Amino acid sequence: MALKQISSNKCFGGLQKVFEHDSVELNCKMKFAVYLPPKAETGKCPALYWLSEQNFISKSGYHQSASEHGLVVIAPDTSPRGCNIKGEDESWDFGTGAGFYVDATEDPWKTNYRMYSYVTEELPQLINANFPVDPQRMSIFGHSMGGHGALICALKNPGKYKSVSAFAPICNPVLCPWGKKAFSGYLGTDQSKWKAYDATHLVKSYPGSQLDILIDQGKDDQFLLDGQLLPDNFIAACTEKKIPVVFRLQEGYDHSYYFIATFITDHIRHHAKYLNA
Amino acid sequence: MEEESGEELGLDRSTPKDFHFYHMDLYDSEDRLHLFPEENTRMRKVVQAEMANESRGAGDGKAQRDLQEEVDELVHLYGLEDDHELGDEFVDENIPRTGVSEYPPYMMKRRDPAREQRDWRLSGEAAEAEDLGFGGWGSAGQCQDLREAYRYTHGRASEEYECYVIPEEEDEEEAADVFCVTCKTPIRAFQKVFDEHKEHEVIPLNEALESAKDEIHKNMYKLEKQIIEMENFANHLEEVFITVEDAVAMADRLGKFLKTKTDVEISAQPEFEDQTLDFSDVEQLMGSINTIPAPSAPVINPQVPNSATGSSVRVCWSLYSDDTVESYQLSYRPVQDSSPGTDQAEFTVTVKETYCSVTNLVPNTQYEFWVTAHNRAGPSPSSERAVYMTAPSPPIIKTKEIRSCEEAVLICWESGNLNPVDSYTVELTQAESPEASGVTESVVGIPTCESVVQLQPGRSYIIYVRALNMGGPSVRSEPATVHTIGSYFRLNKDTCHPWLTISEDGLTAVRSERRTPARELSPSDTHFTRCVAVMGNLIPVRGHHYWEVEVDEHLDYRVGVAFADVRKQEDLGANCLSWCMRHTFASSRHKYEFLHNRTTPDIRITVPPKKIGILLDYEHSKLSFFNVDLSQHLYTFSCQLHEFVHPCFSLEKPGCLKVHNGISMPKHVTFY
Repeated sequence: MALKQISSNKCFGGLQKVFEHDSVELNCKMKFAVYLPPKAETGKCPALYWLSEQNFISKSGYHQSASEHGLVVIAPDTSPRGCNIKGEDESWDFGTGAGFYVDATEDPWKTNYRMYSYVTEELPQLINANFPVDPQRMSIFGHSMGGHGALICALKNPGKYKSVSAFAPICNPVLCPWGKKAFSGYLGTDQSKWKAYDATHLVKSYPGSQLDILIDQGKDDQFLLDGQLLPDNFIAACTEKKIPVVFRLQEGYDHSYYFIATFITDHIRHHAKYLNA
Repeated sequence: MEEESGEELGLDRSTPKDFHFYHMDLYDSEDRLHLFPEENTRMRKVVQAEMANESRGAGDGKAQRDLQEEVDELVHLYGLEDDHELGDEFVDENIPRTGVSEYPPYMMKRRDPAREQRDWRLSGEAAEAEDLGFGGWGSAGQCQDLREAYRYTHGRASEEYECYVIPEEEDEEEAADVFCVTCKTPIRAFQKVFDEHKEHEVIPLNEALESAKDEIHKNMYKLEKQIIEMENFANHLEEVFITVEDAVAMADRLGKFLKTKTDVEISAQPEFEDQTLDFSDVEQLMGSINTIPAPSAPVINPQVPNSATGSSVRVCWSLYSDDTVESYQLSYRPVQDSSPGTDQAEFTVTVKETYCSVTNLVPNTQYEFWVTAHNRAGPSPSSERAVYMTAPSPPIIKTKEIRSCEEAVLICWESGNLNPVDSYTVELTQAESPEASGVTESVVGIPTCESVVQLQPGRSYIIYVRALNMGGPSVRSEPATVHTIGSYFRLNKDTCHPWLTISEDGLTAVRSERRTPARELSPSDTHFTRCVAVMGNLIPVRGHHYWEVEVDEHLDYRVGVAFADVRKQEDLGANCLSWCMRHTFASSRHKYEFLHNRTTPDIRITVPPKKIGILLDYEHSKLSFFNVDLSQHLYTFSCQLHEFVHPCFSLEKPGCLKVHNGISMPKHVTFY
């Protein structure tokens, strides 16, 4: 697959680049961002996948930390774009920009909306082939829907990711309005299929190796108050299953990038601990 | 002998008494008659005159003139040689020094003034000797006349001396041409015919001349030998004289000595009978005769630094005189306090050397020493008193109170001495190489009974302490071992709440089910009163400290840190002087709080930790908590640590918690 570099900017000694390629899974052109730390010039680095909007790369201030810890940070798009599917742009929380990191089964979405496979399969293979990354050391984190995506990718692939963390994730989509809307559109009405993409549910049957989950949640996050995020459910489930989670409810913080920026360093350190171990 | 010489000196031309003056007056035939037989005497006279000349002193021109005069007469008379030559020979050459040949030329030398003295005597002696040898001589008076006669007849004069030159013979009158042996006088031939010489034997003049010459020569030779002998004799005599001189002096002294001795003996005799036997006098007398006094006081040296042990000191002194000393007596006693009390016992040691190692002393004690020198005459005055001090006893390290971290150790000890010492020294070696290549570091001059010593991380050290005073260092204390891995501390019993019991090893705190009756608490603030807590003694060194606490899942506890002066009446974390992680278990739910100043973030932890790792980072002002088993980071405080803090542990319900020390910081912790 041919990669086309769209941009490159030097940042904290490393390089922030944007590439475009033709995605097989998604049947469209996809862009993704890659930050290469200084260490990448001399050797392979671990890979950290971030799932959220593309604003991340300029707004969240992760470069310094990534540079220090020597991590390659890859940020794919939230969903396929330009697929010309009817209704994809109707709402901001469904369709374009809100792929929910599932492999849709329903028409007309199933051709393109296969973000789960893209994130867990195609993209890593692409990255491994084209960038100085160590294929054995991979972690994932995200914000909001991306947080949900990070959690489910990790939970559905025990051992694939060394660590996982999230900012204000959607922890229990089957029970929140966003999730219901998205899953019904992408997966149909069979709720049993929905659970396969629900972190809270996935935890309950998680058999796999130890995971260390860090979650930061702004206490003043509107969506939390609106019941969209439902972290308590997730925590309860993890407590029961003894999945190590540290959940931090951050006083005064909201859902914005200011919140992300505040705690991004902790998260990157969290991942570095496992990726650089 | 001397008188004779003196007489001779007195004469203008000193000639010996018995010398016949040899008349050379051409016009005085009578005198001439004497010429031959008296030839020798004349020669001798010349010799004597010369000697006399010398005895009078150098540069006596007149004497010289006499000699020269005689020489010239001879020369002219006999035509022996050219007068200069002969004169030179006479004047310049030295008879005795050149070997004496059979008929040595008659040589004389003007002798050195140095030899005048001798010659002066010599001449006298010689005179006598020669007198003996050669018979009579012309009288002094005759000599005198003749010289005066010649004075008027002098013809040529030389520069150096008046020269009485014998005028040319005037041959107007008859010249003698034969020699009458009988009369020993030259006569004219015709005189033979006359009565006087009729029966006399006569020989030709030249024959007579020859024989006369021979005789002269023989006599000269003899004379020379005589001179040599005289000189030798004179030398010997001089030696004898010097010896006698010395002997005389010696004899004077001896005489004096003998005289006194004699006096003593004499005086003692009559007294002896009168007195009763009094040996003290005799002894004194003997002593004074022996002249050995009692020695002068020795000088006691100040204590050589570091020369003492805990039970002995080495005292040295010196004697700054040539006095005879047979032994020294060293006395000592402990230094008295100003307060009067029982007199301390005094001890004495007798030694022959000028030093003594005194043993069986008490450590860390001052003793005063003084020494006297002794000989047969008695003791010397006492020396000054010098204070010597024994070294102290070794300290005792409080091993249970050792605190350390990766970079330093805090040791404290008991002095081991009742009285104060000057300072302490800490010595440490690395345990891996104990004796062989182990370098011993020393920290000296420690004023108190504790010390913080910097160390390298990840090593083991063996530590000793010594006490030091004026006398020197004590022996080493018993050793203590320190490992610079992690941080070591113990729970401080002085701080624990009455309901808590601390284990012997200082690492476990137990709160029993029963509440012990509230006992009277000391007014001091060291004990926790509200929070059932205990504080640990962390080493007051900045840097990183890591320790772990083992807790039960269902235990309600608080673990964290606090400043030393935290209010013990409050709960941990309830004020701004303490930070802690609090776990409460209620309704099957684990609740975790991270308390400081009564506030806590909202944190959920899904897996309750069994072992909590605590990282105190002074450098970054952070306090972090971890789930050790999961390597999970739980929470980090940012805390302003302007002073040192101590670990704190509290049990809110019966149970126990155990502190684990000496753990190297795990890698996952290093990220924080």
